[in-house]
Amino acid sequence: MMNLSRSVALISLFLLPLLSFSFSVDNPTDRRVLVLLDDLSLKSSHSIFFSTLKSRGFDLDFKLADDSKLALQRYGQYLYDGLIVFAPSTERFGGSLDSKSIADFVDSGRDLILSADTSASDLIRGIALECGVDFDEDSSAMVIDHSSFSVSDGDHTLIAADDLVKSDAILGKTKIEAPVLFRGVAHSLNPTNNLVLKVLSASPSAYSANPSSKLSSPPQLTGSAISLVSVMQARNNARVVISGSLQLFSDRLFRSGVQKAGSPNKYEKSGNEQFATELSKWVFHERGHLKAGSLVHHRVGETDEPAIYRIKDDLEFSVEILEWSGKSWEPYVADDVQVQFYMMSPYVLKTLSTDKKGMFHTSFKVPDVYGVFQFKVEYGKLGYTTLSLSKQIPVRPYRHNEYERFIPTAYPYYGACFTTMAGFFVFSFVYLYHK
Amino acid sequence: MVKSTSKDAQDLFRSLHSAYSATPTNLKIIDLYVVFAVFTALIQVAYMALVGSFPFNSFLSGVLSCVGTAVLAVCLRIQVNKENKEFKHKTVVTNLRGIVAMFVIAV
Repeated sequence: MMNLSRSVALISLFLLPLLSFSFSVDNPTDRRVLVLLDDLSLKSSHSIFFSTLKSRGFDLDFKLADDSKLALQRYGQYLYDGLIVFAPSTERFGGSLDSKSIADFVDSGRDLILSADTSASDLIRGIALECGVDFDEDSSAMVIDHSSFSVSDGDHTLIAADDLVKSDAILGKTKIEAPVLFRGVAHSLNPTNNLVLKVLSASPSAYSANPSSKLSSPPQLTGSAISLVSVMQARNNARVVISGSLQLFSDRLFRSGVQKAGSPNKYEKSGNEQFATELSKWVFHERGHLKAGSLVHHRVGETDEPAIYRIKDDLEFSVEILEWSGKSWEPYVADDVQVQFYMMSPYVLKTLSTDKKGMFHTSFKVPDVYGVFQFKVEYGKLGYTTLSLSKQIPVRPYRHNEYERFIPTAYPYYGACFTTMAGFFVFSFVYLYHK
Repeated sequence: MVKSTSKDAQDLFRSLHSAYSATPTNLKIIDLYVVFAVFTALIQVAYMALVGSFPFNSFLSGVLSCVGTAVLAVCLRIQVNKENKEFKHKTVVTNLRGIVAMFVIAV
């Protein structure tokens, strides 16, 4: 009994400092990352990737995928902020990990890098399916491309891909010049799913088939529908990267030169290292993470927020949006943030102008409709966190003494009444006193 | 036929004109007032046809006040007309009654 209570006290003492090292609202970059490998030699064969992560301040915890002491959370608290699963052939995780606990991990807002390779077990396929990514059903199929392969490969399975998504948030500002080398399985995305996105697509001449056997029927996955690397940003802003090739992250492909078949350009170094580094910056919230302050609105000329507006009032609206730079909150600069004045449908939709210091503002006239409106800012730019802000405000009609005193269109009628009165007055005098 | 109808119209107009000149002056004054009131009402109707009936209340008040005073003036004319056999009043009383009625109601 004494031993048990003493060990519980020791464990809780251990946990207290761990709590201060997780990611928080003020510091959204992940800190502690669990790396699951199915073979410890991956630590050395992918050492460049892991060392770049460590140099950026991440706390990497390497474990074998079937380690029986694996746990993502203890006593209800998550132990890690990010998860890297480089275990494409694992059928079952050890410890308390399974595809449901990984789905809960992403549901709690934490990030995931998942990679399959030339063989993807059902477990990995299941986790990818949860995130909206469909690996090719044929377990022996690989991506083959007879016109976009690297010339150093005789098999046409080492693809030199350069069809990258155009997003500064996901891939960084510097353009990746050299093609990215890829050898692995194909996956496809459901086109109606608007949370997943193809980061590296295959060229139109690619297809997914078994390279060592003759094709008996046309392949199911072909062309640009094949995605080589995809990302998903969940509604709670958790980010997931799913790659069809583990070799894409390996030191050998990081260091090798690349020349695409049919192209005269020969690159000393492939684009793999830059691609993997920029993608890891995005997925662990070092880039593209936005935070918004509260919505502020008031009448023109006043500073306090009124409790109710009147129709046809002039009002000013502003909101503060900051972007996380990896170390600090910087002002967010963009020209496409919009605000809606919404009641069942937007009556007013205006693009906010920015003062480049993080404040976005605009002014407009309240529409000629009364009711309960909302100021809504719904911002979903590619690669950035989605902002969904709203504030409710009622709008009342005119009071009885706020209408205009004399209606300009009715002046002729007023004139007619007065001339009738004058005419009657003159007529009565003339009629009574004529001779 | 054309010639005869135009000659008939001219004859008609001339006979009306000469008959009308024979009416007493006070009746002519009332007629002038009625024409003025109806004319004002017609102007307002034309204006409403132009700009639409937005302040409909104002339109109604303008037109009805003009039409009302015209109707009351016609009543006065009927009562004052000496050739009207049904009404046999003394001149002063007639004048006062008619005018008081118009004053109270027309406003």
